[in-house]
Amino acid sequence: MGVTSRFRFIGKRVPRRDGVLKVTGAAKFAYDIEIPGMLYGRIFKSPYAHAIVDRIDKSEAERLGAVVITYEDVPKVLFNTRLVSVDEATYKDWEVLTKHPKYVGEPIAAVAARSEEVAQRALEALRVEFKEVFKPVLDPFEAMDPAAPKIHRKIVLANRWVDVVNNVGATLEYSEGDVDKAFRDADVVIERRFKTNRRYHLQLEPKVAVCKPEVGGSITVWTTTQSLHNTRILISQVFGIPMSKVNVVKTFLGGAFGSSIHTNLVTLIAVALCLKARRPVKIALTREDDILHDHVSYQMHFRIKAGARRDGRLVAGEFENVMDIGAHQIQAYPLLGTALGWFVSLYKWGSIRYVGKAVYTNKVPTCAFRGYGNPQVTWAVETVIDEVAEELNMDPLDFRLKNYRGLGDIFWGQGPTVKTVIKSDGVPELMRKGAELIGWYRRPKPWEQRGRFRRGIGLARGFHTSGAGGPISGEVIDYTGAILKVNEDGSIDYVTALQDHGGGTLDAHVKIIAEELGVPPEKINVVWSDTFTTVYDVCTHASRGVYVGGEGARRAAAKVKERILEYASRLLPKVVNPEALKMEYDEELDDVVIYVEGMPGEKVTLSEVARTAWQRNWGSISASVSYRATAAPPSFTVYFVEVEVDTETGIVRPVKVVAGADLGTVINPDLAAGQIHGGFAQGWSMAVLEDVVYDPESGEPLNKGLITDYKVPMAPDLPALDNFTVIFASTYEPTGPFGAKGIGEAAANPVAAAVANAIANALGIRFYELPITPEKVLEAIKERRG
Amino acid sequence: MRVRFKLNGEPVEVDVEPNELLINVLRERFGLTGTKYACGIGECGACTVLLDGEPVLSCLTLAADVDGHEVVTVEGLAKSGELTPVQRAFIEEGAVQCGYCIPGFVIMAESLLRENPEPTEAEIRDYIRGNLCRCTGYVNIVKAVKRASKYFKLAPPGS
Repeated sequence: MGVTSRFRFIGKRVPRRDGVLKVTGAAKFAYDIEIPGMLYGRIFKSPYAHAIVDRIDKSEAERLGAVVITYEDVPKVLFNTRLVSVDEATYKDWEVLTKHPKYVGEPIAAVAARSEEVAQRALEALRVEFKEVFKPVLDPFEAMDPAAPKIHRKIVLANRWVDVVNNVGATLEYSEGDVDKAFRDADVVIERRFKTNRRYHLQLEPKVAVCKPEVGGSITVWTTTQSLHNTRILISQVFGIPMSKVNVVKTFLGGAFGSSIHTNLVTLIAVALCLKARRPVKIALTREDDILHDHVSYQMHFRIKAGARRDGRLVAGEFENVMDIGAHQIQAYPLLGTALGWFVSLYKWGSIRYVGKAVYTNKVPTCAFRGYGNPQVTWAVETVIDEVAEELNMDPLDFRLKNYRGLGDIFWGQGPTVKTVIKSDGVPELMRKGAELIGWYRRPKPWEQRGRFRRGIGLARGFHTSGAGGPISGEVIDYTGAILKVNEDGSIDYVTALQDHGGGTLDAHVKIIAEELGVPPEKINVVWSDTFTTVYDVCTHASRGVYVGGEGARRAAAKVKERILEYASRLLPKVVNPEALKMEYDEELDDVVIYVEGMPGEKVTLSEVARTAWQRNWGSISASVSYRATAAPPSFTVYFVEVEVDTETGIVRPVKVVAGADLGTVINPDLAAGQIHGGFAQGWSMAVLEDVVYDPESGEPLNKGLITDYKVPMAPDLPALDNFTVIFASTYEPTGPFGAKGIGEAAANPVAAAVANAIANALGIRFYELPITPEKVLEAIKERRG
Repeated sequence: MRVRFKLNGEPVEVDVEPNELLINVLRERFGLTGTKYACGIGECGACTVLLDGEPVLSCLTLAADVDGHEVVTVEGLAKSGELTPVQRAFIEEGAVQCGYCIPGFVIMAESLLRENPEPTEAEIRDYIRGNLCRCTGYVNIVKAVKRASKYFKLAPPGS
């Protein structure tokens, strides 16, 4: 960790700022917001996977004193709940409430009443009659059959209608080089089909929204969101309220993992109820509501074909990606490009060919889930890569090192429109150290193992982008904003709309500002903000919080620093150029000293400068910055996982994990490790546990909202402390703030792949469908025994 | 019906419906929103409180049943602003991420260490097995309980 040692604050363990609020129960989440006199809302969800409502009788519900809205009371516009893409790349097929529900759970009407009990009774008093009920289409390949029922006939792209043909919502094709020739020239060709699971985020805080009408026609909104500003813009667009009258206030967010990049539908429904009732309204989803509401992971079906030469070089890659997106588009279209980006940027394939299709089904709409398709793609690619290496008789580690995209190579993780050159790469270091720590070269041979319990070690490598910026504008909006003020006593206020989901993003920003100015973190106040008082930040997603947001904060600090030094030079008349001045924290004075190096007499403190600027009417020391990153560099992760398979029960247990991460400069070491711990748990769970299962007849999820039905790992299910090692690469990303890159998603992306490769090492059997459940394991063992 | 009980050390009285749940009474009547709703059916542990010193799930407990008893929520642990060893350890080990599940874990850790001041790692994992965290993979939470156990050894609660 030699690189970070030259920093004063970065890389040091500092207790997180919101820790006290969170361990004492004082932290206010959106679920905790209560407004005096507010009404409680409930949503009427479609009981059918695909139907058309005939009429709704709301008289009885209204007699109970409830405010009722149906699809007739909301604006007749189609929109996309996610605004991260530019308008020309945004497919719109959502309504606030619909007459034509397309999945079990889609909102049709909503009620608000003075208590949850009355609201629930009013909900039950709604008489909703359906005109038609269609057989649900649940499989994307069946959906593409011309004979299948049409889920959408027309949707809107930007501002024009487009026809939906065979339930395909969007497509993307791409190729480079002569793929057919490359495959003909290859010595080894492996072709496999894969199916990933449909994972529910199971963020601990169910989706919730509170909307309060203000004097003068403004509204204030508190909700579970990863983007304050996009929530505001969408409310403004859907309801035709000027943005200056919509204020979205930050609250703590009880987990999201991608499920609130889009504005959850509950937010718009709460606004609609509030506008009708002219009273504050809160809708807090129950767990059962939440799993049916508007978020699960993209379920992807792949065909991957890889070709390599005897010398161990990949020469061709073919990738077919059919995404089962559920009933609406959130970021399905951009994912077609990004999934290709994940594929292409993993390895130097030589020639490539890609077909991607986003297909509608009558299921809960899909959205990003920690990695935005990357864990799915990486699992499939890393499986194929292992198989190619085996076929070539090469060590899978060596094969990866020979073929991966690393330092100096072209990288286009965010899709074909934005290409950059990789400038930092810790993969070789992480591979070497990880292999040593796990005992890679002593791993068992599957065919040599006997007995009930079989062990295996798997390796997988992956990456995620740091943000979605780039040198040209492209189809994705990605910029951030920061406001920094030096107060009249020299303390600092930092104002940002950027959400911290709990990873410690804003703690990292504070350290970055502290490092730039020499002001200790405890003198920097993160202002609890809202959309009225901040400049635009797109969203906390794409592992951009530290890399983009942190650099925005650093630039604001650098601007403020210029002004501080200029003011300081007025107090130090011998100094002719403020650039000669340095800033450094003096513990004894508990103040930042501004001085000339080598001239101990020439100094002034920051608090003196701040006070003087105020008393002599020089004006405030402040800066407002809007920042767009010119790159989206990859953070690399390398996972070595050892598992034990019980061949009698089929249960797979994690034995040991060595997780290597190249996130550039590590700003919060314990919180960065926390991202990796959590990333492993989610990836493990993706590999062996999670899947939302739908009833094939009704299209209703069978494990809806009950945690015992939808298993995720609990504390005893994961490796002991001594068996979980995290290593950080000693890299420095020249485009990041003090050398930093992202980590949130890279921490999870290769986990499922490493687990699957470990199972293959234990059993000599590969699985092409997730999750790898005990039933599948037992069946495969039985099948092999014949 | 009228219910009288001790809440975070103070005697309180409140009128509740016979079917009213403790979690709702704590959150809505007393504004103690540190007790979290996440599943509502006793499967995630986020709503755990201490009832006469024993951890219970407030989403499965009738408010009427706490009549004459003592309830401690996460807000009642730190006395006059001083964090308990468990709370300190959770912050120091980076065990807190989004924080939504944390009140439940803090309550469980307090309860565990009162029962068993020097738990092994396996005992810690087993004790918190009913508490769901989606952020941390439990690693730093387990570390925090271990660290808190050292603090307990140095200064047992009530000493």
